[in-house]
Amino acid sequence: MITTLLVQALISGLILGALYGLIGCSLTIIYGTMRIVNFSHGEFVVAGCYAVFVFFTATHLHPLLAVPLVFIGFFGLGMCLYFLFVPRLSRSDDPEVASFLTFYGVSLMAGATLLYFFEADTRSLNYIFRPSVFKIGSIFIPTAQLVALAAGLVIIGILTWFLYRTIHGKALRAAIMNRDAIQIVGVNINSLSALAFGLAIGLAGTTGVLLALVFPAFGPFSGIDFTLIGFVVIVLGGLGHPVGAIIGGIVFGVAEQVAIVFLPQSLSHAVGFLILIATIALRPAGLFGKVAMR
Amino acid sequence: MNAAIAGDSAPVQAETGAPMLEVKSLRKVFGGLVAVDTISFDVPENSILGLIGVNGSGKTTIMNCINGIYLATEGSIKLRGRELIGLKPHEIARLGIGRTFQVPRLFRRLTLTENLIVPVLDDRRSDRELTEKAEKLLADVDLYRIRDNYAEELSGGQQKLVELLRVMMLDPDLILLDEPFAGVHPNLCKVFLDQILKLKDSGKSFILVSHDLTSVYSLSEHLLVLNQGRKIAEGNAREIQTNPDVIEAFLGR
Repeated sequence: MITTLLVQALISGLILGALYGLIGCSLTIIYGTMRIVNFSHGEFVVAGCYAVFVFFTATHLHPLLAVPLVFIGFFGLGMCLYFLFVPRLSRSDDPEVASFLTFYGVSLMAGATLLYFFEADTRSLNYIFRPSVFKIGSIFIPTAQLVALAAGLVIIGILTWFLYRTIHGKALRAAIMNRDAIQIVGVNINSLSALAFGLAIGLAGTTGVLLALVFPAFGPFSGIDFTLIGFVVIVLGGLGHPVGAIIGGIVFGVAEQVAIVFLPQSLSHAVGFLILIATIALRPAGLFGKVAMR
Repeated sequence: MNAAIAGDSAPVQAETGAPMLEVKSLRKVFGGLVAVDTISFDVPENSILGLIGVNGSGKTTIMNCINGIYLATEGSIKLRGRELIGLKPHEIARLGIGRTFQVPRLFRRLTLTENLIVPVLDDRRSDRELTEKAEKLLADVDLYRIRDNYAEELSGGQQKLVELLRVMMLDPDLILLDEPFAGVHPNLCKVFLDQILKLKDSGKSFILVSHDLTSVYSLSEHLLVLNQGRKIAEGNAREIQTNPDVIEAFLGR
Protein backbone atom coordinates (compact mmCIF):
# COMPACT_ATOMS: atom_id res chain seq x y z
CA MET A 1 0.00 0.00 0.00
CA ILE A 2 2.70 2.43 1.04
CA THR A 3 4.67 1.54 -2.13
CA THR A 4 1.67 2.36 -4.30
CA LEU A 5 1.19 5.67 -2.50
CA LEU A 6 4.87 6.45 -2.85
CA VAL A 7 4.91 5.74 -6.60
CA GLN A 8 1.73 7.77 -6.98
CA ALA A 9 3.36 10.63 -5.07
CA LEU A 10 6.52 10.42 -7.18
CA ILE A 11 4.52 10.66 -10.38
CA SER A 12 2.43 13.57 -9.08
CA GLY A 13 5.63 15.22 -7.84
CA LEU A 14 7.25 14.85 -11.22
CA ILE A 15 4.25 16.37 -12.98
CA LEU A 16 3.84 19.27 -10.57
CA GLY A 17 7.61 19.69 -10.36
CA ALA A 18 7.92 20.13 -14.12
CA LEU A 19 5.35 22.94 -13.91
CA TYR A 20 7.08 24.48 -10.88
CA GLY A 21 10.30 24.22 -12.87
CA LEU A 22 8.73 26.19 -15.71
CA ILE A 23 7.75 28.93 -13.24
CA GLY A 24 11.31 29.01 -11.90
CA CYS A 25 12.78 28.91 -15.38
CA SER A 26 10.86 31.98 -16.52
CA LEU A 27 11.68 33.78 -13.28
CA THR A 28 15.39 33.04 -13.60
CA ILE A 29 15.47 34.30 -17.20
CA ILE A 30 14.34 37.69 -15.90
CA TYR A 31 16.70 37.68 -12.93
CA GLY A 32 19.63 36.37 -14.92
CA THR A 33 19.47 38.84 -17.79
CA MET A 34 18.37 41.94 -15.87
CA ARG A 35 19.01 41.32 -12.17
CA ILE A 36 15.34 42.19 -11.75
CA VAL A 37 13.48 40.47 -8.92
CA ASN A 38 9.99 39.98 -10.35
CA PHE A 39 7.91 39.60 -7.23
CA SER A 40 4.73 39.68 -9.34
CA HIS A 41 5.66 36.58 -11.32
CA GLY A 42 3.06 34.37 -9.62
CA GLU A 43 0.30 36.82 -10.51
CA PHE A 44 1.07 36.27 -14.19
CA VAL A 45 0.85 32.52 -13.62
CA VAL A 46 -2.56 32.99 -12.00
CA ALA A 47 -3.57 35.38 -14.78
CA GLY A 48 -2.74 32.51 -17.17
CA CYS A 49 -5.14 30.29 -15.19
CA TYR A 50 -7.86 32.93 -15.54
CA ALA A 51 -7.05 33.41 -19.23
CA VAL A 52 -7.71 29.74 -20.00
CA PHE A 53 -10.80 29.86 -17.75
CA VAL A 54 -12.19 32.74 -19.83
CA PHE A 55 -11.14 31.05 -23.09
CA PHE A 56 -12.87 27.79 -22.17
CA THR A 57 -15.99 29.46 -20.78
CA ALA A 58 -16.36 31.55 -23.92
CA THR A 59 -15.50 28.97 -26.58
CA HIS A 60 -15.80 25.50 -24.97
CA LEU A 61 -12.78 24.52 -27.06
CA HIS A 62 -9.98 22.32 -25.71
CA PRO A 63 -8.06 24.31 -23.05
CA LEU A 64 -4.69 23.49 -24.63
CA LEU A 65 -5.76 25.49 -27.69
CA ALA A 66 -5.39 28.54 -25.44
CA VAL A 67 -1.65 27.94 -25.01
CA PRO A 68 -0.41 29.79 -28.14
CA LEU A 69 -2.92 32.62 -27.62
CA VAL A 70 -1.95 33.06 -23.97
CA PHE A 71 1.74 32.94 -24.82
CA ILE A 72 1.43 35.62 -27.51
CA GLY A 73 -0.81 37.83 -25.35
CA PHE A 74 1.40 37.55 -22.27
CA PHE A 75 4.56 37.98 -24.35
CA GLY A 76 3.17 41.32 -25.56
CA LEU A 77 2.13 42.26 -22.03
CA GLY A 78 5.63 41.42 -20.78
CA MET A 79 7.25 43.61 -23.44
CA CYS A 80 4.96 46.53 -22.45
CA LEU A 81 5.77 46.06 -18.75
CA TYR A 82 9.48 45.89 -19.56
CA PHE A 83 9.52 49.26 -21.31
CA LEU A 84 7.26 50.76 -18.62
CA PHE A 85 9.43 49.76 -15.63
CA VAL A 86 12.69 48.00 -16.27
CA PRO A 87 14.95 50.50 -18.13
CA ARG A 88 14.40 52.97 -15.26
CA LEU A 89 15.10 50.32 -12.63
CA SER A 90 18.28 49.22 -14.40
CA ARG A 91 19.66 52.75 -14.00
CA SER A 92 19.20 52.70 -10.21
CA ASP A 93 22.13 52.08 -7.88
CA ASP A 94 20.56 48.92 -6.52
CA PRO A 95 18.29 47.47 -9.22
CA GLU A 96 17.55 44.31 -7.23
CA VAL A 97 15.97 46.11 -4.25
CA ALA A 98 14.29 48.75 -6.44
CA SER A 99 12.82 46.04 -8.68
CA PHE A 100 11.68 43.98 -5.72
CA LEU A 101 9.68 46.94 -4.37
CA THR A 102 8.33 47.96 -7.78
CA PHE A 103 7.19 44.48 -8.68
CA TYR A 104 5.72 43.96 -5.23
CA GLY A 105 3.52 46.91 -6.17
CA VAL A 106 2.76 45.32 -9.55
CA SER A 107 1.87 42.12 -7.68
CA LEU A 108 -0.66 43.97 -5.50
CA MET A 109 -2.12 45.77 -8.51
CA ALA A 110 -2.39 42.54 -10.51
CA GLY A 111 -4.09 40.78 -7.57
CA ALA A 112 -6.54 43.68 -7.19
CA THR A 113 -7.27 43.69 -10.93
CA LEU A 114 -8.02 39.95 -10.90
CA LEU A 115 -10.24 40.49 -7.83
CA TYR A 116 -12.12 43.27 -9.65
CA PHE A 117 -12.84 41.17 -12.71
CA PHE A 118 -13.29 37.71 -11.17
CA GLU A 119 -14.29 38.43 -7.55
CA ALA A 120 -12.85 36.69 -4.51
CA ASP A 121 -14.35 33.25 -5.11
CA THR A 122 -11.96 30.62 -6.36
CA ARG A 123 -12.56 29.35 -9.87
CA SER A 124 -11.76 26.08 -11.53
CA LEU A 125 -11.52 24.85 -15.08
CA ASN A 126 -14.40 22.45 -15.53
CA TYR A 127 -13.04 20.66 -18.55
CA ILE A 128 -13.30 16.89 -18.19
CA PHE A 129 -10.88 14.65 -20.00
CA ARG A 130 -12.11 11.27 -21.31
CA PRO A 131 -11.05 8.95 -19.79
CA SER A 132 -10.54 11.04 -16.69
CA VAL A 133 -8.00 8.66 -15.17
CA PHE A 134 -5.33 6.31 -16.49
CA LYS A 135 -4.71 3.13 -14.52
CA ILE A 136 -1.31 1.50 -14.71
CA GLY A 137 -1.28 -1.54 -12.38
CA SER A 138 -2.45 -0.19 -9.06
CA ILE A 139 -1.43 3.40 -9.92
CA PHE A 140 -4.04 5.95 -10.95
CA ILE A 141 -2.96 9.04 -12.86
CA PRO A 142 -5.49 11.73 -13.77
CA THR A 143 -5.47 12.36 -17.53
CA ALA A 144 -5.36 16.10 -16.88
CA GLN A 145 -2.03 15.66 -15.08
CA LEU A 146 -0.61 13.55 -17.92
CA VAL A 147 -1.74 16.09 -20.50
CA ALA A 148 -0.22 18.91 -18.43
CA LEU A 149 3.04 16.96 -18.12
CA ALA A 150 3.17 16.23 -21.85
CA ALA A 151 2.45 19.87 -22.69
CA GLY A 152 4.99 21.00 -20.08
CA LEU A 153 7.66 18.73 -21.55
CA VAL A 154 6.93 20.05 -25.05
CA ILE A 155 7.29 23.62 -23.75
CA ILE A 156 10.52 22.74 -21.94
CA GLY A 157 11.77 21.14 -25.17
CA ILE A 158 10.95 24.24 -27.24
CA LEU A 159 12.50 26.50 -24.60
CA THR A 160 15.67 24.40 -24.51
CA TRP A 161 15.85 24.46 -28.31
CA PHE A 162 15.45 28.25 -28.25
CA LEU A 163 18.08 28.79 -25.57
CA TYR A 164 20.66 26.32 -26.90
CA ARG A 165 20.10 26.23 -30.66
CA THR A 166 19.07 29.72 -31.80
CA ILE A 167 21.36 32.72 -31.94
CA HIS A 168 18.93 34.85 -29.89
CA GLY A 169 18.74 32.11 -27.25
CA LYS A 170 22.53 31.90 -27.12
CA ALA A 171 22.70 35.68 -26.81
CA LEU A 172 20.22 35.53 -23.95
CA ARG A 173 22.37 32.95 -22.16
CA ALA A 174 25.43 35.07 -22.91
CA ALA A 175 23.68 38.06 -21.29
CA ILE A 176 23.00 35.90 -18.20
CA MET A 177 26.72 34.95 -18.10
CA ASN A 178 28.13 38.43 -18.64
CA ARG A 179 25.78 41.38 -19.00
CA ASP A 180 28.62 43.90 -19.49
CA ALA A 181 30.49 41.95 -22.15
CA ILE A 182 27.47 41.47 -24.37
CA GLN A 183 27.00 45.23 -24.66
CA ILE A 184 30.64 45.78 -25.53
CA VAL A 185 30.44 43.30 -28.40
CA GLY A 186 27.64 45.35 -29.97
CA VAL A 187 24.45 43.71 -28.74
CA ASN A 188 21.65 46.06 -27.67
CA ILE A 189 20.97 44.83 -24.14
CA ASN A 190 17.71 46.77 -24.00
CA SER A 191 16.18 44.86 -26.93
CA LEU A 192 17.53 41.57 -25.65
CA SER A 193 16.17 42.22 -22.14
CA ALA A 194 12.76 43.15 -23.55
CA LEU A 195 12.74 39.85 -25.44
CA ALA A 196 13.72 38.01 -22.24
CA PHE A 197 11.00 39.75 -20.20
CA GLY A 198 8.35 39.05 -22.85
CA LEU A 199 9.45 35.43 -23.09
CA ALA A 200 9.39 34.99 -19.31
CA ILE A 201 5.93 36.51 -18.86
CA GLY A 202 4.69 34.50 -21.86
CA LEU A 203 6.03 31.36 -20.19
CA ALA A 204 4.46 32.31 -16.85
CA GLY A 205 1.04 32.72 -18.48
CA THR A 206 1.42 29.46 -20.40
CA THR A 207 2.40 27.63 -17.20
CA GLY A 208 -0.77 29.07 -15.67
CA VAL A 209 -2.82 27.39 -18.42
CA LEU A 210 -1.26 24.01 -17.55
CA LEU A 211 -1.65 24.56 -13.80
CA ALA A 212 -5.34 25.29 -14.31
CA LEU A 213 -5.63 21.75 -15.68
CA VAL A 214 -3.92 20.25 -12.64
CA PHE A 215 -4.99 22.39 -9.68
CA PRO A 216 -8.56 22.08 -8.48
CA ALA A 217 -9.01 25.82 -7.95
CA PHE A 218 -7.31 29.19 -8.19
CA GLY A 219 -8.11 32.61 -6.80
CA PRO A 220 -6.99 36.21 -7.36
CA PHE A 221 -4.48 35.97 -4.53
CA SER A 222 -2.95 32.58 -5.35
CA GLY A 223 -0.06 34.35 -7.09
CA ILE A 224 2.13 34.77 -4.02
CA ASP A 225 2.30 30.97 -3.60
CA PHE A 226 3.61 30.54 -7.13
CA THR A 227 6.06 33.42 -6.71
CA LEU A 228 7.47 31.77 -3.59
CA ILE A 229 7.71 28.42 -5.34
CA GLY A 230 9.46 30.15 -8.25
CA PHE A 231 12.07 31.68 -5.96
CA VAL A 232 12.57 28.42 -4.09
CA VAL A 233 13.23 26.42 -7.25
CA ILE A 234 15.65 28.94 -8.75
CA VAL A 235 17.67 28.96 -5.53
CA LEU A 236 17.54 25.16 -5.46
CA GLY A 237 18.65 24.89 -9.08
CA GLY A 238 21.22 27.69 -9.01
CA LEU A 239 20.49 31.36 -9.72
CA GLY A 240 20.51 32.36 -13.38
CA HIS A 241 20.50 28.78 -14.63
CA PRO A 242 17.30 27.96 -16.60
CA VAL A 243 17.88 24.20 -16.81
CA GLY A 244 18.85 24.12 -13.10
CA ALA A 245 15.49 25.78 -12.33
CA ILE A 246 13.61 22.98 -14.11
CA ILE A 247 15.50 20.36 -12.10
CA GLY A 248 15.04 22.40 -8.90
CA GLY A 249 11.29 22.47 -9.65
CA ILE A 250 11.16 18.71 -10.00
CA VAL A 251 13.08 18.25 -6.72
CA PHE A 252 10.68 20.60 -4.94
CA GLY A 253 7.57 19.00 -6.49
CA VAL A 254 8.65 15.46 -5.66
CA ALA A 255 9.66 16.42 -2.08
CA GLU A 256 6.32 18.11 -1.52
CA GLN A 257 4.24 15.24 -2.89
CA VAL A 258 6.23 12.48 -1.18
CA ALA A 259 5.97 14.36 2.12
CA ILE A 260 2.17 14.23 1.81
CA VAL A 261 2.42 10.42 2.08
CA PHE A 262 4.27 10.51 5.39
CA LEU A 263 3.25 13.77 7.01
CA PRO A 264 0.05 15.65 7.73
CA GLN A 265 -0.79 17.80 4.66
CA SER A 266 -0.28 21.05 6.56
CA LEU A 267 3.28 20.01 7.40
CA SER A 268 4.12 18.62 3.98
CA HIS A 269 4.42 22.10 2.47
CA ALA A 270 7.24 22.82 4.90
CA VAL A 271 9.40 20.03 3.49
CA GLY A 272 10.22 21.87 0.25
CA PHE A 273 11.24 24.92 2.27
CA LEU A 274 13.34 22.79 4.60
CA ILE A 275 15.19 21.52 1.53
CA LEU A 276 15.65 25.15 0.49
CA ILE A 277 17.13 26.13 3.87
CA ALA A 278 19.40 23.07 3.85
CA THR A 279 20.52 23.91 0.31
CA ILE A 280 21.35 27.51 1.21
CA ALA A 281 23.25 26.33 4.29
CA LEU A 282 25.17 23.50 2.62
CA ARG A 283 25.36 24.43 -1.06
CA PRO A 284 24.75 28.18 -1.43
CA ALA A 285 25.22 27.97 -5.21
CA GLY A 286 22.24 25.59 -5.47
CA LEU A 287 21.92 21.82 -5.86
CA PHE A 288 23.46 22.07 -9.30
CA GLY A 289 25.62 24.99 -8.29
CA LYS A 290 28.78 23.58 -9.74
CA VAL A 291 27.15 23.62 -13.13
CA ALA A 292 25.43 26.92 -12.52
CA MET A 293 28.46 28.71 -11.18
CA ARG A 294 30.92 27.57 -13.79
CA MET B 1 32.79 47.46 -40.63
CA ASN B 2 30.17 45.15 -41.95
CA ALA B 3 27.32 47.12 -43.43
CA ALA B 4 24.89 44.28 -42.85
CA ILE B 5 25.29 44.56 -39.09
CA ALA B 6 24.62 48.25 -38.81
CA GLY B 7 21.19 49.48 -37.87
CA ASP B 8 20.78 53.16 -37.07
CA SER B 9 24.41 53.18 -35.90
CA ALA B 10 25.85 53.04 -39.40
CA PRO B 11 29.64 52.98 -39.63
CA VAL B 12 31.20 56.38 -40.03
CA GLN B 13 32.88 57.03 -43.37
CA ALA B 14 36.49 58.15 -43.52
CA GLU B 15 37.33 61.76 -44.27
CA THR B 16 40.46 62.12 -46.34
CA GLY B 17 43.43 63.25 -44.27
CA ALA B 18 41.53 63.54 -40.98
CA PRO B 19 42.50 61.28 -38.05
CA MET B 20 40.28 58.29 -37.42
CA LEU B 21 39.86 59.06 -33.72
CA GLU B 22 40.21 62.49 -32.12
CA VAL B 23 40.31 62.74 -28.35
CA LYS B 24 40.23 66.32 -27.09
CA SER B 25 40.63 67.53 -23.49
CA LEU B 26 39.29 64.25 -22.13
CA ARG B 27 38.69 64.34 -18.39
CA LYS B 28 37.25 61.66 -16.15
CA VAL B 29 36.66 62.24 -12.46
CA PHE B 30 35.48 59.62 -9.94
CA GLY B 31 34.26 61.49 -6.87
CA GLY B 32 37.32 63.50 -5.86
CA LEU B 33 39.77 61.43 -7.91
CA VAL B 34 40.86 62.77 -11.28
CA ALA B 35 41.59 59.55 -13.21
CA VAL B 36 42.16 61.24 -16.57
CA ASP B 37 43.19 64.88 -16.61
CA THR B 38 42.59 66.85 -19.82
CA ILE B 39 44.23 64.52 -22.29
CA SER B 40 44.21 65.00 -26.06
CA PHE B 41 45.50 62.73 -28.81
CA ASP B 42 44.66 61.49 -32.31
CA VAL B 43 44.71 58.03 -33.81
CA PRO B 44 45.44 58.24 -37.55
CA GLU B 45 43.93 55.79 -40.04
CA ASN B 46 45.77 52.45 -40.24
CA SER B 47 48.06 53.07 -37.27
CA ILE B 48 48.93 51.70 -33.86
CA LEU B 49 48.98 54.05 -30.90
CA GLY B 50 50.68 52.73 -27.77
CA LEU B 51 49.43 53.86 -24.36
CA ILE B 52 51.92 53.24 -21.57
CA GLY B 53 52.15 54.18 -17.93
CA VAL B 54 52.40 52.68 -14.49
CA ASN B 55 49.36 51.15 -12.77
CA GLY B 56 46.67 53.74 -12.05
CA SER B 57 47.95 56.17 -14.66
CA GLY B 58 44.59 56.24 -16.50
CA LYS B 59 45.22 53.98 -19.52
CA THR B 60 42.25 51.67 -19.04
CA THR B 61 40.01 54.57 -17.99
CA ILE B 62 40.72 56.22 -21.36
CA MET B 63 39.80 52.97 -23.13
CA ASN B 64 36.61 52.74 -21.06
CA CYS B 65 35.67 56.30 -22.01
CA ILE B 66 36.29 55.59 -25.70
CA ASN B 67 34.07 52.52 -25.82
CA GLY B 68 31.33 53.97 -23.63
CA ILE B 69 31.76 51.93 -20.45
CA TYR B 70 32.45 55.21 -18.63
CA LEU B 71 30.82 58.51 -19.44
CA ALA B 72 33.57 61.11 -19.78
CA THR B 73 33.26 64.02 -17.35
CA GLU B 74 34.49 66.56 -19.92
CA GLY B 75 36.00 66.65 -23.39
CA SER B 76 35.26 65.13 -26.73
CA ILE B 77 35.89 61.79 -28.44
CA LYS B 78 35.17 61.75 -32.16
CA LEU B 79 35.32 58.79 -34.51
CA ARG B 80 35.76 60.23 -38.00
CA GLY B 81 34.00 63.38 -36.87
CA ARG B 82 31.16 61.70 -35.00
CA GLU B 83 30.93 62.40 -31.28
CA LEU B 84 30.98 59.22 -29.20
CA ILE B 85 30.41 60.66 -25.73
CA GLY B 86 26.88 59.83 -24.62
CA LEU B 87 26.55 56.81 -26.87
CA LYS B 88 26.01 53.37 -25.34
CA PRO B 89 28.73 50.69 -25.56
CA HIS B 90 26.81 48.63 -28.13
CA GLU B 91 26.29 51.70 -30.32
CA ILE B 92 30.01 52.49 -30.21
CA ALA B 93 30.83 48.87 -31.03
CA ARG B 94 28.57 49.06 -34.06
CA LEU B 95 30.18 52.29 -35.19
CA GLY B 96 33.39 50.31 -35.58
CA ILE B 97 35.29 50.21 -32.29
CA GLY B 98 36.15 46.79 -30.88
CA ARG B 99 37.64 46.08 -27.46
CA THR B 100 39.51 43.35 -25.63
CA PHE B 101 40.19 43.30 -21.89
CA GLN B 102 43.07 42.61 -19.56
CA VAL B 103 40.91 39.86 -18.00
CA PRO B 104 39.04 38.32 -20.94
CA ARG B 105 35.27 38.68 -20.82
CA LEU B 106 34.15 35.65 -22.77
CA PHE B 107 30.82 33.90 -22.31
CA ARG B 108 32.15 31.02 -20.24
CA ARG B 109 29.48 28.41 -20.90
CA LEU B 110 29.21 29.07 -24.63
CA THR B 111 31.42 27.23 -27.10
CA LEU B 112 34.14 29.11 -28.96
CA THR B 113 32.03 29.24 -32.12
CA GLU B 114 29.02 30.48 -30.15
CA ASN B 115 31.15 33.15 -28.49
CA LEU B 116 32.09 34.43 -31.92
CA ILE B 117 28.60 34.49 -33.42
CA VAL B 118 26.74 36.14 -30.53
CA PRO B 119 28.00 39.66 -31.48
CA VAL B 120 26.55 39.29 -34.98
CA LEU B 121 23.08 38.57 -33.61
CA ASP B 122 21.35 40.96 -36.02
CA ASP B 123 23.47 40.17 -39.05
CA ARG B 124 21.40 39.42 -42.14
CA ARG B 125 23.65 36.57 -43.21
CA SER B 126 22.50 33.03 -42.45
CA ASP B 127 23.62 31.21 -39.30
CA ARG B 128 25.60 28.87 -41.55
CA GLU B 129 27.56 31.72 -43.16
CA LEU B 130 28.29 33.25 -39.76
CA THR B 131 29.38 29.91 -38.35
CA GLU B 132 31.67 29.40 -41.35
CA LYS B 133 33.22 32.83 -40.79
CA ALA B 134 33.71 32.09 -37.07
CA GLU B 135 35.26 28.71 -37.81
CA LYS B 136 37.62 30.22 -40.38
CA LEU B 137 38.83 32.75 -37.82
CA LEU B 138 39.35 29.94 -35.30
CA ALA B 139 41.20 27.87 -37.89
CA ASP B 140 43.56 30.80 -38.61
CA VAL B 141 44.82 30.63 -35.02
CA ASP B 142 44.73 26.85 -34.75
CA LEU B 143 41.73 26.72 -32.43
CA TYR B 144 39.33 25.07 -34.90
CA ARG B 145 39.83 21.63 -33.36
CA ILE B 146 38.45 22.88 -30.02
CA ARG B 147 35.71 25.06 -31.55
CA ASP B 148 33.01 23.16 -29.62
CA ASN B 149 34.73 23.47 -26.24
CA TYR B 150 33.36 25.86 -23.68
CA ALA B 151 35.31 29.11 -23.39
CA GLU B 152 35.98 28.43 -19.70
CA GLU B 153 38.03 25.37 -20.69
CA LEU B 154 40.66 27.51 -22.44
CA SER B 155 43.86 28.87 -20.96
CA GLY B 156 43.99 32.59 -20.18
CA GLY B 157 46.07 33.27 -23.30
CA GLN B 158 43.70 31.33 -25.55
CA GLN B 159 40.78 33.24 -24.05
CA LYS B 160 42.50 36.51 -24.97
CA LEU B 161 42.96 35.26 -28.50
CA VAL B 162 39.30 34.22 -28.79
CA GLU B 163 38.29 37.63 -27.46
CA LEU B 164 40.25 39.23 -30.32
CA LEU B 165 38.55 36.91 -32.82
CA ARG B 166 35.17 37.87 -31.33
CA VAL B 167 36.04 41.51 -31.96
CA MET B 168 37.02 40.62 -35.53
CA MET B 169 33.57 39.14 -36.22
CA LEU B 170 32.19 42.71 -36.22
CA ASP B 171 35.00 43.84 -38.53
CA PRO B 172 35.75 47.05 -36.59
CA ASP B 173 38.01 49.80 -37.91
CA LEU B 174 39.60 50.58 -34.54
CA ILE B 175 40.51 47.93 -31.99
CA LEU B 176 41.34 48.73 -28.36
CA LEU B 177 43.68 46.12 -26.89
CA ASP B 178 44.09 46.16 -23.11
CA GLU B 179 47.17 44.23 -21.97
CA PRO B 180 46.95 41.59 -24.71
CA PHE B 181 50.29 39.99 -23.80
CA ALA B 182 49.97 39.91 -19.99
CA GLY B 183 50.29 36.36 -18.68
CA VAL B 184 50.28 34.85 -22.17
CA HIS B 185 52.65 32.04 -23.22
CA PRO B 186 55.32 33.31 -25.68
CA ASN B 187 54.06 31.00 -28.45
CA LEU B 188 50.58 32.44 -28.12
CA CYS B 189 52.04 35.97 -27.93
CA LYS B 190 53.51 35.37 -31.38
CA VAL B 191 50.13 34.23 -32.73
CA PHE B 192 48.56 37.33 -31.19
CA LEU B 193 51.23 39.59 -32.72
CA ASP B 194 50.73 37.98 -36.14
CA GLN B 195 47.01 38.66 -35.91
CA ILE B 196 47.59 42.29 -34.98
CA LEU B 197 50.00 42.79 -37.90
CA LYS B 198 47.65 41.02 -40.30
CA LEU B 199 44.78 43.26 -39.21
CA LYS B 200 46.99 46.33 -39.50
CA ASP B 201 47.90 45.29 -43.06
CA SER B 202 44.18 45.09 -43.83
CA GLY B 203 43.75 48.74 -42.77
CA LYS B 204 42.75 48.48 -39.13
CA SER B 205 43.94 50.85 -36.40
CA PHE B 206 44.75 50.02 -32.80
CA ILE B 207 45.15 51.55 -29.40
CA LEU B 208 47.44 49.25 -27.48
CA VAL B 209 47.79 49.32 -23.69
CA SER B 210 50.55 47.10 -22.37
CA HIS B 211 53.20 46.78 -19.72
CA ASP B 212 55.25 44.73 -22.19
CA LEU B 213 57.28 47.72 -23.38
CA THR B 214 59.26 45.71 -25.95
CA SER B 215 56.07 44.77 -27.80
CA VAL B 216 54.60 48.26 -27.50
CA TYR B 217 57.79 49.92 -28.77
CA SER B 218 58.08 47.53 -31.71
CA LEU B 219 54.41 47.71 -32.74
CA SER B 220 53.44 51.34 -32.16
CA GLU B 221 54.19 54.16 -34.57
CA HIS B 222 53.26 56.67 -31.89
CA LEU B 223 53.24 56.41 -28.11
CA LEU B 224 51.57 58.29 -25.33
CA VAL B 225 52.95 58.12 -21.81
CA LEU B 226 50.60 58.70 -18.89
CA ASN B 227 51.30 59.32 -15.26
CA GLN B 228 48.64 59.96 -12.59
CA GLY B 229 46.04 60.71 -15.26
CA ARG B 230 48.20 63.22 -17.13
CA LYS B 231 50.03 62.95 -20.44
CA ILE B 232 53.72 63.35 -19.68
CA ALA B 233 55.19 62.56 -23.09
CA GLU B 234 54.38 61.50 -26.62
CA GLY B 235 56.37 60.57 -29.68
CA ASN B 236 57.92 57.56 -31.36
CA ALA B 237 59.61 54.75 -29.45
CA ARG B 238 63.06 56.30 -29.64
CA GLU B 239 61.87 59.68 -28.35
CA ILE B 240 59.97 58.04 -25.50
CA GLN B 241 62.87 55.83 -24.44
CA THR B 242 65.14 58.85 -24.04
CA ASN B 243 62.61 61.22 -22.51
CA PRO B 244 63.76 62.20 -18.98
CA ASP B 245 60.18 62.64 -17.71
CA VAL B 246 59.34 59.11 -18.80
CA ILE B 247 62.45 57.68 -17.22
CA GLU B 248 61.61 59.44 -13.99
CA ALA B 249 58.00 58.25 -14.02
CA PHE B 250 58.95 54.64 -14.66
CA LEU B 251 62.17 54.31 -12.69
CA GLY B 252 62.10 57.22 -10.23
CA ARG B 253 65.09 59.47 -9.70
